[in-house]
Amino acid sequence: MIKLNDIVVKFGDFTALHDINVHVKEGEFFTFLGPSGCGKTTTLRTITGFISPSSGTVLMKDRDITRVPIEKRNIGIVFQSYALFPTMTVYDNIAFGLKLKKLGKTEIDQKVREIARKVDLSDEQLDKAVSQLSGGQQQRVAIARALVTSPSVICLDEPLSNLDAKLRVQLRNELKKMQREFGITSIYVTHDQEEALTLSDRIAVFNKGYIEQIGTPNEIYNQSATEFVCNFIGDINRLGDDIVARLNEQGAGLDPAWHHYIRLERLHVNKKADGEHFVFDAVVENSEYYGLYIKYTVKAFGQTLKVIEKNDGRTPYVEGETVSVSFSASNIMSYEPKEEGGDA
Amino acid sequence: MLNEKRFDATFVFRLIGIVFFAYLFFGFMLVPCWNTLTSIFKEKTASGEADPFAVIRFFLAGNMKRFVWNSLRLAVVLVITVNIVGISIVLLTEYFDIKGAKILRLGYMTTMIYSGVALVTGYMFLYANDGILTPLLTNAFPGISSTWFTGYGAVVFTMTFACTSNHMLFLRNAIRGIDYNTVEAARNMGANPFKVLWKVVMPTLIPTLFSLTVMTFITGLCAMSSPTLLGYDSINPEIVRLAGSSSADESFPQARAALLSIILAIFTIVLLTVLTAYERKGHYLSVSKTKAKLQKQKITNPVANVIAHIYAYVLFIIYMTPVVMIIIFSFQSYSAIRMKKLDLSNWTLINYFGKQDYEYMTARGTYKTREGAISGVFSNEQTFGGIKTSFILAAAAAALACIIVVVACNYISKHKKSGSILEYALLFPWLLPTILICYSYRVYFNSDTIWYVGNTNLYYADNVRLLIIMAYVVTKLPFSLRMIKASFYTIDSELEDAAKNLGSSPLRTFLKVKLPIILPSVLAVFALNFNALFTEYDMSATFASTYGTSYAMVIQAMTADEGLYGYNVNASGRRCASTVFIMIVSGLILWLVYGVGARDLSERLEAKKKRREFFARLFGRKN
Repeated sequence: MIKLNDIVVKFGDFTALHDINVHVKEGEFFTFLGPSGCGKTTTLRTITGFISPSSGTVLMKDRDITRVPIEKRNIGIVFQSYALFPTMTVYDNIAFGLKLKKLGKTEIDQKVREIARKVDLSDEQLDKAVSQLSGGQQQRVAIARALVTSPSVICLDEPLSNLDAKLRVQLRNELKKMQREFGITSIYVTHDQEEALTLSDRIAVFNKGYIEQIGTPNEIYNQSATEFVCNFIGDINRLGDDIVARLNEQGAGLDPAWHHYIRLERLHVNKKADGEHFVFDAVVENSEYYGLYIKYTVKAFGQTLKVIEKNDGRTPYVEGETVSVSFSASNIMSYEPKEEGGDA
Repeated sequence: MLNEKRFDATFVFRLIGIVFFAYLFFGFMLVPCWNTLTSIFKEKTASGEADPFAVIRFFLAGNMKRFVWNSLRLAVVLVITVNIVGISIVLLTEYFDIKGAKILRLGYMTTMIYSGVALVTGYMFLYANDGILTPLLTNAFPGISSTWFTGYGAVVFTMTFACTSNHMLFLRNAIRGIDYNTVEAARNMGANPFKVLWKVVMPTLIPTLFSLTVMTFITGLCAMSSPTLLGYDSINPEIVRLAGSSSADESFPQARAALLSIILAIFTIVLLTVLTAYERKGHYLSVSKTKAKLQKQKITNPVANVIAHIYAYVLFIIYMTPVVMIIIFSFQSYSAIRMKKLDLSNWTLINYFGKQDYEYMTARGTYKTREGAISGVFSNEQTFGGIKTSFILAAAAAALACIIVVVACNYISKHKKSGSILEYALLFPWLLPTILICYSYRVYFNSDTIWYVGNTNLYYADNVRLLIIMAYVVTKLPFSLRMIKASFYTIDSELEDAAKNLGSSPLRTFLKVKLPIILPSVLAVFALNFNALFTEYDMSATFASTYGTSYAMVIQAMTADEGLYGYNVNASGRRCASTVFIMIVSGLILWLVYGVGARDLSERLEAKKKRREFFARLFGRKN
């Protein structure tokens, strides 16, 4: 559907994107994930046409659109701020693009009302000013405006970032539902890993203008391709030299020069892990009770480790208590350290 | 293909823009003022030899310095008096809990719709030698002379109360922006209300007060209508006098006028540089994330409370008396105004509409009738002509200034480097006193050899109106730019991207998306510019042309025209009616812009809904 081939974007001497290659499939919910300044929005703006790449091509349905003007690309955009026109009613906001396509009044009216129904906006809301709507309703207007012109792709640039946590979760679910209903190819930009994991079919993780990994949420989380991805996605423990030495004594065979990580939920307190596993003693330093699970901070071999244990009804371990910590060897993720510096 | 078309259109628009703004900057800002500056050094001796420093020697040796010292003295004193009154009225209406604060605020804000010549003549109507309150004052205070309202004291008194509008606008906003939690915290730690005011509130107001002080100083330095009408030798009236004088009457009057203009410009530049440097240092910013609205402070000491109330209402009386008296007397007959006595049994609209004959006794003791000698504002050709001229010139200039600035801001907001050059060019007139620009125009364009205006003498006959419009536009550019640019920066850049993505052209995006957002600000700037220009006196007086006789000049003329033998007999009445008309127009425009125009879409839709419901009910009942 959308293909980015060797895209390079430069701003003066600064290279914002290095040889980006992405293939977004038809009907897919594809997410660009990464920290601020990593190049995800630049990539999105290259697809939408706001930025011209220094080299490389953008293909849509195998047609080169690299130099096609923004308005001719047939891409809908939902902006971070929604960018709803404050001096127009909801109706006029949605109808704006249709009027520019010089459609007849009846056709515009029909299309506006149809898309409004689909995104659950009432006729009464159509006559309101956008400032009179709630955050969720405004998001639906922005989506309706982006979809009403029947684009081939919809791009969403951090549309949930300005909302509070509760509304963000609620709208995230609505967004996913709408995308499924419309079946439209969607490219989503976010720095929020939880959002990316819950919404996406596939994710591209960006770092310093490079793509570190492209994969399904499960691949990204459990088989992080790089140390950056492993650190960026979810919470994780890096195993210190003493623990690595101790594990090697147990026959782990870990290269001491490499960095070794294990996710919090892969560690178990006073429970046996599956398969080939390692065990060592640790002292509970702190426990946080979350209801669904308990988060422990334990100390072993001079290193603090975080552990998440499912709440199975047992009384939580208390500070100072000695526990055994176990985990499967297969859950350790190891990475060869990279040289720092280079062209970021 | 499409890209090429876009490129061509953008290139052509940009080229037109560059040519236009270069023409405006060089042709109507730099070159005329440069001509004024250089004219100082072009004087010749009696023998015809060049004597570049003749004017400066004259300045240092003669009594020209007096005008500069007088202006400086006025400016310094006004900084003190205006700040005292300005801070008082803001604190009394916004900070302290004074009974009737809303009414007091209205009184203190009257200067926003009633200023300049209208205000000065209003004060003269009350306090001058033959003023309606003068007998009352001289009876109440026998030590006061009936001619007290002339010269320096009268100018200070008038300008002190006339120049507090900026305090009511800016200081009021600053005080409203104070986080009340800081006041509560100080009270909680044991500070009394005055201690809180001095130690917590006032320090946060210092940046605003500094700006107001500089603005007041410049206003005092460039004072025109008050010194002219009340008789005080300051720089601006002298420049106007010299500009109209000839070398047959006195030594190099034009060069002296130019020198005084340049002296004013130097003062202005120094002061604005100081202000800018101070503003760059940064302001006290509230670090509060949950700002609390300021609550009015009760004055707990009963004596202090009574004194504060008395002070507030005395100021209110001073502000309101001219307004009330002028409104009342505008409905009084010629004889009542002449006798300075209110005649409650005889109300008339003759000062506004229609004409009446006037019967008078001649020197020979016979009676004569002069037909239509008593006339209303709208029936008197000269007065109404002044209104029309001012209305057209002010509206045209205010609109033109807004259009130029909107176009410029649209460019500035998109282009950082070349945009800042344009911005500085449009801010340039800010450094120049109004009188310097007008004087420069008057001298420079009084020639038919200026090629870039088609070798047309713009200071000739009807052309002077064009020159006045240009002066109005140029002097209003910096203010308009500062205000409109600020509103441009409130536009979310994603709106433009969204419109572009939906297929909107740059022009359409500008007209349909950006302009509606900034329109309330543009209209507000238009209104403020229009109000200021509609009643302005300084510029039209500098041009002093019968083809550009403004409303303010007509009002000024009416102070002296109280004629004998049936000439202009109800000039005072017409002047009162004119002032009432000014207040109505200014008030109406401010209400339209700030009241109606400032409503956002949701408020407008709500009002529309209410109107519909009202008419539905109305027709429902009828049916």
